[in-house]
Amino acid sequence: MSRIGFAGMTHLGLNSAVASAAKGYTVCCFDEDKDLIVQLADGRPHVVEPDLERLMGEHAGRLQFTAEVSELASCPLVYIAPDVPTDNSGNSDLTQINALIERVDEAIPADIIMVVLSQVPPGFTRDLKLKAGRPLFYQVETLIFGRAVERALQPERFIIGCTDPTSPLPSPFEDYLRTFDCPLLPMRYESAELAKISINCCLVASISVANTLAELCEHLGADWSEIVPALKKDKRIGPHAYLSPGLGIAGGNLERDLNTVISLADRYGTDGNIVRAWTANSGYRKNWVLRLLHQHVFNRMPDPTIAVWGLAYKQNTHSTKNSPSLELIQHLDRYRLSVFDPVVKAAAVQGRKLEEHADALTACSGADVLAIMTPWPQFKNVPPADICRAMKGAVVIDPYRVLSKTACEAEGLTYFTLGSPIGESHADTSE
Amino acid sequence: MLTHQNKEPRNPDRVVMLGGNGFFGKALTKLLKESSMETLPLSSADLDLTADDAVDKLKSTLREDDSLVIFSALTPDRGRGIDTFMANLKMIENLCAYLAEQKPAHVIYFSSDAVYPLGSGPVNETSAAAPADLYGAMHRSRELMLQQTLGDQLCILRPTLVYGADDSHNSYGPNRFRRQAAKEGKIVIGGEGEETRDHIYIDDIAEITKLVLENRSTGMLNVAGGSSTDFGTVARLVAAQFDGNVEVCPTPRKMPATHRSFDITALHRAFPGYVFTPLETGLKKAHEGSL
Repeated sequence: MSRIGFAGMTHLGLNSAVASAAKGYTVCCFDEDKDLIVQLADGRPHVVEPDLERLMGEHAGRLQFTAEVSELASCPLVYIAPDVPTDNSGNSDLTQINALIERVDEAIPADIIMVVLSQVPPGFTRDLKLKAGRPLFYQVETLIFGRAVERALQPERFIIGCTDPTSPLPSPFEDYLRTFDCPLLPMRYESAELAKISINCCLVASISVANTLAELCEHLGADWSEIVPALKKDKRIGPHAYLSPGLGIAGGNLERDLNTVISLADRYGTDGNIVRAWTANSGYRKNWVLRLLHQHVFNRMPDPTIAVWGLAYKQNTHSTKNSPSLELIQHLDRYRLSVFDPVVKAAAVQGRKLEEHADALTACSGADVLAIMTPWPQFKNVPPADICRAMKGAVVIDPYRVLSKTACEAEGLTYFTLGSPIGESHADTSE
Repeated sequence: MLTHQNKEPRNPDRVVMLGGNGFFGKALTKLLKESSMETLPLSSADLDLTADDAVDKLKSTLREDDSLVIFSALTPDRGRGIDTFMANLKMIENLCAYLAEQKPAHVIYFSSDAVYPLGSGPVNETSAAAPADLYGAMHRSRELMLQQTLGDQLCILRPTLVYGADDSHNSYGPNRFRRQAAKEGKIVIGGEGEETRDHIYIDDIAEITKLVLENRSTGMLNVAGGSSTDFGTVARLVAAQFDGNVEVCPTPRKMPATHRSFDITALHRAFPGYVFTPLETGLKKAHEGSL
């Protein structure tokens, strides 16, 4: 088999399709949005991911974009891969994916394998009503915004939900998966669906631990960045553990899974309160910068100009879903703000006209305070000395430690970051 | 979380205060008068909310365009028993009977942080209100009575510990410390005074209430400064106002220390840029005001 189909050209579908093309497959990419298909056929992705556009160009000959669902009928294996939208609380809207599955099921013969790759709740796959005899699987997606192509090309493992995990996978499907040279973990549908959620819960648990203890560090004179290496050397925790403190969970996917666990726990009468606590902690952390501004800046400077670097919810993505930056800006109505993001335009901030700049340094020119709300890698390259010269004031709020604390303080900047003692070097933030 | 009903802040037509002769009411009246707002502070002598004719008196006193601020309550120094609890509920029962017939333009109810249990982490407006005593239960019951009557047209403010020169109560904290220092030349604290609380100065209560009135805000808000200080430090700060002649006297601890802190993000969101009086400044003002 050298042909494979993907239905739904959102973030997940497009990155997965392009990765398959890069592995040598001819990929039929279907989406009902004709304008989107024209754009993609022209090699212009509508989502931002490192290497995506380059790979689309390199493998354009194997990527066939179409708005005709019938063209999927020539593929022995078809992935259903649209992103499932959520509201701000993490509630999934399954309307679109259900409609897409129904449409694809009607359009392709019953012997073609269908694999659901989208973010669906436990029980979804088994409940699907498809043509009799349709081989149906669920495959866990582990897309990470900003690393989607890398993750799609080099998955750690494939988790496959099946009707019968003891039966061998159909050869077209198994052959395709083996191309990626990683372990295959077949299991029942519900286990696979819950495995995806379990992975995200473990990540959130780690992040919540980091956030909780990093906040204590800020008050105790400890520095979380000194503690993290000790944790990562512990085999039970590991070198890749998510231990960076942050400004709460964002992006939509983790929020969705936490919301699903809470809903299921309520429905089945199990204890989901720890997940509620993670969610509450996330909401609390999201306002770290706002609290800090009130506690350490506004009481000394009544009307500061604030430069904001970054609008996206994380680096290397265009997404602003639950972005801490947008959340902060929403509550700084009365202050003059100047912003810069390498990808997201200021128009993404609804209800507020912002002073937008073409680069980071210009954005902080004349500002009293700089808040680095998204850890874009290019921000690391801005020398603190230049920041110091450009700014009118000297307060730098850098939650993610994009800049060097030592270098900033050497330039006389008053530097705040997550997990580092507050008040250590900034008894006076006045000019 | 508050919702501002006015698109732009503006003065209310008239502010009527029930319990307007108390610690909070006097401070608010003073501030509103300075802002040329029409005020009508009513004490229990003017309008006894527990009386049989309370509803009629409310009808003859209040106007539809009034903003009503409810301070009236029998505080714990007036009794902690069931009779006090029931008298407090009676006041709001009568008030709700009036409000069911005639709703003022805006209603603000002064509740208390006593609706929250101690030791449950940083308190915010989503924290569970699970009062541990009848005083807290009284405020929570009154909140529910008013919410049932007014729906989402109500503003509930839950202040934490408030201090100031005119405070007539003598509960443990800055006010008692100041009086004890002046009278006895010493301040007695429990244990080493390890318990932490958020203390706010009375002028901040008045200022926040004024903002709520100007914006005709509805919803619920904790009124706290967002910074907790242990009683030992507070006692030493109060003692320092007396030219070093006051001794802070620890006592053997009988109960485990409890703590309370607030996450005041909702207040920051409602009133961006509002800066609370720093504790040292507030204690100094309270001291000077009491001389």
